Amino acid sequence: MKINMPITNNEVVMKSNTILVTRTDLKGVITFANDAFVDISGYSREELIGSSHNIVRHPEMPAAAFEDMWRTLKQNRPWQGMVKNRTKSGDFYWVNANAMPLFENNAVKGYLSVRLTPSRAEIDAANQLYRKINAKEATLHPTGLAAARKFLSEISLGKKLAIACTLLMLPNILLLRELLSSESYLLIGALGVSTLIAFWIMAHVTQSTRNFFVSAVHELFRLSVNEFSPPLNLTRNDQFGDLFRGIYVAGVKLGDDIAQAKQANSNSLRIIQGLKYAECSILITNANSEIIFVNQAAEQLFLRAEKDIQTAIPSFSVQKLLGSPIDIFHNVPALQKEALDKLQDSKTSQFDLAGHTMQLTVKPVFEVNRERIGYVAEWLDRTTEVKIEGEIEHLVRAIKQGDLGKRINLNDKNGFMKSLSTNINELTDVIENVFNDINHIIAKLAEGDLTNSIHSDYQGIYAQCKDNMNDAIVKISEFIIQIREAADFVNTSSQEMASGNNNLSNRVEQQAASLEETAASMQELSSTVVSNAENTKTATVVVKSAAEVAEKGGEVVKSAIAAMQAINESSNRIAEIIGVIDEIAFQTNLLALNASVEAARAGEQGRGFSVVATEVRNLAQRSATAAKQSNELIQNSVQEVRSGTAFVNETGAALMEIVDSIIHVGTIVGHITSASNEQSAGISQVNQAVSQMDDITQQNAALAEQAAAGSMAMSEQAAKMTHLLNFFKINGKSPAAFSAKAKLATSKPAANVQSAANSKVAVNASFDEWEEF
Amino acid sequence: MTEKNEIDAVENETGAKRNSDTSNIIQYLSFVLGKEEYGVDILRVQEIRSWEPVSRVPNVPFYEKGVVNLRGAIVPIIDLRERFSLSKPEYTPLTVVVVLQTGSGSHTRIMGVVVDSVSDVISIERTDIQSAPDFGTKVSNEFINGLVSVNERMVMLLDVDKLLLLEVLEQNDY
Repeated sequence: MKINMPITNNEVVMKSNTILVTRTDLKGVITFANDAFVDISGYSREELIGSSHNIVRHPEMPAAAFEDMWRTLKQNRPWQGMVKNRTKSGDFYWVNANAMPLFENNAVKGYLSVRLTPSRAEIDAANQLYRKINAKEATLHPTGLAAARKFLSEISLGKKLAIACTLLMLPNILLLRELLSSESYLLIGALGVSTLIAFWIMAHVTQSTRNFFVSAVHELFRLSVNEFSPPLNLTRNDQFGDLFRGIYVAGVKLGDDIAQAKQANSNSLRIIQGLKYAECSILITNANSEIIFVNQAAEQLFLRAEKDIQTAIPSFSVQKLLGSPIDIFHNVPALQKEALDKLQDSKTSQFDLAGHTMQLTVKPVFEVNRERIGYVAEWLDRTTEVKIEGEIEHLVRAIKQGDLGKRINLNDKNGFMKSLSTNINELTDVIENVFNDINHIIAKLAEGDLTNSIHSDYQGIYAQCKDNMNDAIVKISEFIIQIREAADFVNTSSQEMASGNNNLSNRVEQQAASLEETAASMQELSSTVVSNAENTKTATVVVKSAAEVAEKGGEVVKSAIAAMQAINESSNRIAEIIGVIDEIAFQTNLLALNASVEAARAGEQGRGFSVVATEVRNLAQRSATAAKQSNELIQNSVQEVRSGTAFVNETGAALMEIVDSIIHVGTIVGHITSASNEQSAGISQVNQAVSQMDDITQQNAALAEQAAAGSMAMSEQAAKMTHLLNFFKINGKSPAAFSAKAKLATSKPAANVQSAANSKVAVNASFDEWEEF
Repeated sequence: MTEKNEIDAVENETGAKRNSDTSNIIQYLSFVLGKEEYGVDILRVQEIRSWEPVSRVPNVPFYEKGVVNLRGAIVPIIDLRERFSLSKPEYTPLTVVVVLQTGSGSHTRIMGVVVDSVSDVISIERTDIQSAPDFGTKVSNEFINGLVSVNERMVMLLDVDKLLLLEVLEQNDY
C-alpha cells in the first residue's frame, strides 16, 4: 500500500460540471489524463503519464475501498464510489468516482475512470463511512443479516420466478391430492390443465424476460465499445419495448456526440495545422501555463535566439520547450503567474530577452463559461527592427545636428532593411553633397572668390537650390562689375567736378567783378532813362503838331480831288462834242462821196461838181482828222486827270495813314514815357538785385570751393571703394586691372581740366574693355 | 419804178460808153475790207450810206444780214467781209453800206454791201489796170477784173456784175 505524504487539511473543491478523466492500463498505470485532472492533481502531465494511478491516493482512503474496486473491476463490473484524492502539494479533494473496464474485441484492454463533482452531503457521508471503516467499526459491504438479505434480494430473476411458481403450485398440488381422494376427476382434470397452463406461461415469461435482459445487457456492452446501432426490436409494445427504445435513443445520441466530437477534433486539427505553419510565432499553454503548443515560426524564432537565451537561462532548450511552464522565461514579467492570472484581455509588451528585443502579445483563452483554460502567446523578435530603428534614429539625429558623415552599416542587413538602409544612405549622400557644394561655394564667396559654381547634377529643390546659387553668384559678379564701373566712373566724375568747381570759383569771382561794373552801368542807364522820359514829352508835342499838319493836307487833297472830277467831267463833255464833230465829218464825207458818185454819173457836166465834192470830202476828212486828234488829246487829258485823281486819292489815304501813324506814334511815345518811368523803377530793382547777386556770388564762390573739396573727398572714397571691390575675384578679370586704375585715380587728386579729360579718355577705354568683356 | 430803173440802166450804159469813148479814165470807188483795199466802178454805185440796223430775213446764208427799205425799194444787204471770209464783222457808226446796182441785160438788181470804210474816189487809166493773178488774194479771182496801184497802194477792182450775179445764182441754188 503506497502512502503518499505529506497531507494537509486544505480541500480543493471541484468545480461543478467538471469531469476528471483518466485511463489506465490493466496494471493501473496512467495512459491518459484530461486537462481538468492534470489541473486539479497539481502534477504535470509528464509526471502523471506513466505513473501508477495510486500517485494521487490519499492516505485516509481505506484500503478496503480500493480492494473492493479492483475486485469489482476484475469481475468486469463498473465500480462507483466516493474517493478522496491527494494533490501533489498534499491538499485533498473529493470525487464521485466511476471506474469501468474498457473492452476491445470482447477483451478488457484497460480501465476508464470518470470522476464527477460530488455533493457536500455525499462527501460528508463518505467521510463518516471511511472514518468508521478505518476504525474497524464498519465495513464497506453489509455483513450478517444484512448480507443475507442482500443475497436474497439479489437472487437471479429466473430462480425467483421458479421459487414463486413452486410456491404457487403447492396449494394446487395439495388440492389435487384432496380431489384425487374424493375422486372428483373432472375437477382434477380442470385444475391440472389450468395449473399446467399457468406453469407454462410462467416458464415462458421467465424465459423471455431472461432473454430480454441478456440481449439488453449485451447491447449496452456493445455501446461501450462504440457500436451505436443496436439491432433491437423497437416495435414491442410492452415495457421491454420501451427499454429497447430508450437504449436505442441513448446509443444513437451517443453516436451523434462522438461524431460531433470527431468533427470538433478535425476542426481543431485544421486550426492547429494552420497555427503550426503560420508566419507569426505562437505558443499556447494550458490553464497551468504549461506550453502545449509551439508552432514552426516560434521554433525558428527560439532556435535563432537559443544560444543567447541560454546565456541568461542555462536550462532553456527549444527541444524541451513543449511541456515546460511558460514562466521558463523567468525574467519576463508578462509571463509570471500573477500577471497571467490577472490578465483578462490581450496585452502587448516589449522586453529585452538576452539581447533580443521581443514583442510579446499574451491573450487568455476562456471556456464558454468564462473559465480560463490557457493562454496564447504571440512572439515577435524585433531585434533587427529595433536595431535598425536605433541606427536610423542615430543617423537622423546626426543629420539634425549637421553631422552628414555618418551612414548605416549595410553589412549586417539584408532584404527590406538593406534596401531601406541603402536608400537612407543615398538620401544622406545627396544631402551631404548638396550641403558640401553650397558650403564650398559660400566659403569661397566669403573669401571674395566668385569664380566657382556648382556643377553636380541634382534634381527637384536641390537643382533649384543649385541653379539659384549659381544665379546668385553670377548676379553678384555682375553687380560687383557694375559697382566697379560705377566706382571708376564716380572717381573720374568727382575729379572732373573738382576741376569744374575750381573753374566755377574763378568764374564766380569774375562774375562778381562784372556785377560791380553792371551796377555802375545801371546808374548811367538810370540817368539815360530819365532824359529819355523828358525827350519823349517833347516828342509828344511835336507829334501833335505833325498830326494837325497832316490833317490839313488831307483836306487840301479832298478839294484837289473835287477839282479833278470837274476837269474830268469837262473833258468828257468836250469828247462828246468832238464825237459829234467827227460824226458830222463822217456824214459830210459820205455826202461828198455820194456827190462824187452823182458827179461821175453826170459825166462832163458833173465834173465841176465833182471837184467841189472832192473839196468837200477833203474838208470833211480834215475835219474828221482834227476831231480825231482833238479826241485823242481829250482822251489823254481825261486819262491824265484820272491818274491824277488816283494819285490824289492815294495821297489822301496816305495822309490819313500818316495821321493815324502820328496818333499811334503819340501813343507809343506815351508808352515810352510810362515805360521809361517803369524802367527807372526796374533799374533800381535791378540795382538791388545786382547787389543781392553780388552777395550770392560771394556765397557761390564759397560753395564752389566746398564743392571742390567735396569732390576730392568723393574721389578718394571712390578709390577706396574700388580698392575694396578688388576683394572679389571674378571670372575672366583679375583684380590687378582695377587696382592699377585705382592708383591712377588716387595719384591725381588735384587734377585740372586737362588731366580730367585724359582720365576720361582712360575711363572710356576701360569701358570699351568692359563692353568687350 | 421799173421804168426809172430801166432808164437808169440805159443811162449807165450810155455814160460808160461815153466815158470809154471820151477818155481812157475810169472812176472807181475804193473801200476797205480788212486790210485790203477794193474798188468798184463808180457808175455801179447807187448810193453810200452809213450802217443802219436791218430787217433780218429767215433762212438765208450767214453773210446776208437782211433787207432795208431804201426810199421804197427793198434792198438786200450782204456783208462782204463775211462773204469773203476776211474778218469778224464789227458794226460801228462808221460802218458803211455801199448800195450797188447791176445792169446785166434788162434785169437790174440792187444790193447793199457792208464794208469797213469807204476810202476815196479814184480815177484810173484803163491801161494801168493789170490782170488779176491766179492766186495771192483772198477773193476768188472770178470777181476780180484786175489790180491797180494807186499812190503805192494796191486796189483790187471788183466786177460788180459777177458779184451780184453770183449772188443771184447762189440764191437760186436755194
